[in-house]
Amino acid sequence: MERRREDRQDGGSGWEPRIIGFLCQWCSYTGADNAGTARIQYPPNVDVIKVMCSGRVDPELVLAALARGADGVLVLGCHPGDCHYISGNHKTMVRMPLVRSVLRDFGIEEGRFRHDWVSAAEGEKFARVVAEMTEEVRRLGPLRWPQRLQESGFRTCAAPAPCGEAVR
Amino acid sequence: MSGGNGNGSVRVGVFICHCGGNIADVVDVEAAAQAAARMPGVAFSSTHMFCCSDPGQAMIVQAIRDHGLNRVVVAACSPSLHEATFRRAAAHAGLNPFLCLHANIREQVSWVVRDRAQATRKAVRLIRAAVARSAHLAPLERRRLPIRPSVLVIGGGVAGLTAARDLASRGIEVTLIESSPFLGGRLAQLYRIYPTGQFARDVLNRLIREVAGHPKVKIYTNAQLWSSEGFIGDFRTTVRLIPRGVTEEPADLQAVLDACPEEAVDQFNLGLAKRKAIYRPYDGCYPPLPAIDWRTCTRCGACVEAAGGRGIQLDQEPEQIEIRSGAIVLAVGLDTYPLRHGEYGYGKFPEVITLAQLNRLLDPTGPTGGRVEIRGRPVRRVGFLHCVGSLQRKGVHPPMRDGRINEYCSRVCCTTTMHTAAELKSRFPELQVYDFHEHIRTYGRKHENYYDRVCEQGVVFIRFDPARPPRVESDPKGEWPLVVRTVDRLTSGEELEVPLDLLVLATGLVARDMKRLIDLYRCSVGPDRFLLEVHPKLRPVELASSGLFLAGSVQGPMDIAEATAAAAAAASKAAALVCAGSIELDPYVARVDETRCSGCRICLQACPFGAIARREETRQAVVNEALCMGCGTCAALCPCNAIQQCGFDDRQIGAELEALLAPEPELAAVSSQEAFDGKAQGR
Repeated sequence: MERRREDRQDGGSGWEPRIIGFLCQWCSYTGADNAGTARIQYPPNVDVIKVMCSGRVDPELVLAALARGADGVLVLGCHPGDCHYISGNHKTMVRMPLVRSVLRDFGIEEGRFRHDWVSAAEGEKFARVVAEMTEEVRRLGPLRWPQRLQESGFRTCAAPAPCGEAVR
Repeated sequence: MSGGNGNGSVRVGVFICHCGGNIADVVDVEAAAQAAARMPGVAFSSTHMFCCSDPGQAMIVQAIRDHGLNRVVVAACSPSLHEATFRRAAAHAGLNPFLCLHANIREQVSWVVRDRAQATRKAVRLIRAAVARSAHLAPLERRRLPIRPSVLVIGGGVAGLTAARDLASRGIEVTLIESSPFLGGRLAQLYRIYPTGQFARDVLNRLIREVAGHPKVKIYTNAQLWSSEGFIGDFRTTVRLIPRGVTEEPADLQAVLDACPEEAVDQFNLGLAKRKAIYRPYDGCYPPLPAIDWRTCTRCGACVEAAGGRGIQLDQEPEQIEIRSGAIVLAVGLDTYPLRHGEYGYGKFPEVITLAQLNRLLDPTGPTGGRVEIRGRPVRRVGFLHCVGSLQRKGVHPPMRDGRINEYCSRVCCTTTMHTAAELKSRFPELQVYDFHEHIRTYGRKHENYYDRVCEQGVVFIRFDPARPPRVESDPKGEWPLVVRTVDRLTSGEELEVPLDLLVLATGLVARDMKRLIDLYRCSVGPDRFLLEVHPKLRPVELASSGLFLAGSVQGPMDIAEATAAAAAAASKAAALVCAGSIELDPYVARVDETRCSGCRICLQACPFGAIARREETRQAVVNEALCMGCGTCAALCPCNAIQQCGFDDRQIGAELEALLAPEPELAAVSSQEAFDGKAQGR
């Protein structure tokens, strides 16, 4: 498949933040459904990838999302103590500062990554987090990481192979 | 056109649901179907008014057969509603159900985005992601595990006994273990119980008769949980049996008790009396044999002599047994709030007692033979103080030993207080009774009657300010043993001084120290330290670890009626599980790629369920699929990417990510440039 990332309307008036949201299936994904059932309107900029547990969210996945053109990444899990898998969310919590420090080393603004808790009943919170995140990323503008990586000679991340392989 | 994503044989069918107007009113489903038709690998795309309806499912089945589809993407409501429906339809057409994916374009698109262009674009993105991901799916099989038709019940109180009885009555083998030497738990210590006013002992004895006499039930008392192995369907629990010391009923029990020179605080009577090292908590207890309290006994042999050398053995060794069961019911109950010395005068004044202690005093078989007196002095005025150790507030109440405070309501104390006050007033009509409360929550059926009754009986209610709880002091004039100072918010916030003979603290209920249980069975624990169910409404008596069920107040404060109902529910769930003979589990297990595993053990520590072990011969990780719950935490942590989670592997998530972030073609251009004749487009 041909990649045409340069075609994106970066910086132009038509630019819209593209944010990837990793949601655990038991709490946060159900919380997102809950926002829908309550017909709470929120910006369409967060595209959701469902995982069974936020513990599945490998720091590499966050980097892969940014390296493939996302302007921000959101990781949502169950509240501490509510994990369907006992401690998966706790492991995510321990791991995410690492992601933050790696992003800082890459010079990526802190606001492009957010890790939060949304329970199955917190549709309103989900909508709020999405709105806040979208606003924050809009303020920061497009990240254009694939282009920046390409310019600096990092070719792997622009390759069309699946991210798991590419970032490895 | 060949299928994309490097897999030429992939033929995806995309089915987009109108959901009446729920989706189609906002999302341009026809434009989305046309866009889907152009996606790599898509061999068929179509819309339907209701994909979940019989004709909708029939269309999917037909399309799979007609177009040789080997992947299905349904863009509709949330997968929580109909993922199973569409997987069944796919299976009906001969496809592995796990080759069917769901794109959530209702709850997460059409119901939350008003703008038609934005909603359509987002729906197409989600469909494209599902299509891309579907190319990397592999057929999966649900795991089938055999279930041993027996249940272990841990705890011999009212909940454990109820669960054991209900399970046995369905013909299931039950083993009940109780850590103390006698059955009955807290129910045995109560006097009359609401809302029927029955004697607690009567209720208990009937329950024990039903359980102890049942051929399917095996009971072990003095049984301590030692270790546990295994998993749903085949738990292997090792229990350490502490010797009872008494093997047959002595001919003259009283002589044996009198012979014992060692005394200990009588815990059964909540410290209101003393008992010997060889003891029976009350007449009619079960098992009827006395037991020896090894912490008090000095093995002096006086009891053996008094019993004529028969029936008492002081040199028995503890023994370990293994109990195998298909499921486990946890019914270990709770504790009462541990009062600090001097809290509301407790421990400082003998006239300050707990509600549970008052219940022992009211019991005619109790330490005072049913008389309510303190140090031999009769009581003229009694005060009840609510919410001791419940509804605590930061800054007002000092934290407990573990640094936490109990912010929750203990639920049973209000009605117990009303019930006990009513009992007091009817037995001792001259008694003056005062009730100090913040709230009164007599919430259950018939509970309010007790409140009404004590109002008629002339109990005086005083509402205190929770920010300034009542203070308990000695009477400066010396006329009364105690004075309670408080403000009364039911009047004008007056400062009151209430002199009393007896103050009864309605202590709250707290979770037991269950560290061993929690570690052994990997239980989820709530912020209140009680064990946490999977879902309060959908799975209220199940723990997240499969095969474990919660019976009664191990889950939070409950009265006897509620604990019984919860235990019956747990028994019914456990019975449904073990009677099924086998169980199906989701196939999203972790798998180890031996060519990559370096044996670093990171996954062993990461797994919340202890499902990963290290095979010593190969020095590599191996996943026990029966224990794996499919969270994927190990896959995220493996530094060699040697562990992958089936259904959520790096390639699948990567393909989804890639497709979501790919440049978006203009949808309007799609629909104007490509003419589509009908709804359904096959290629």
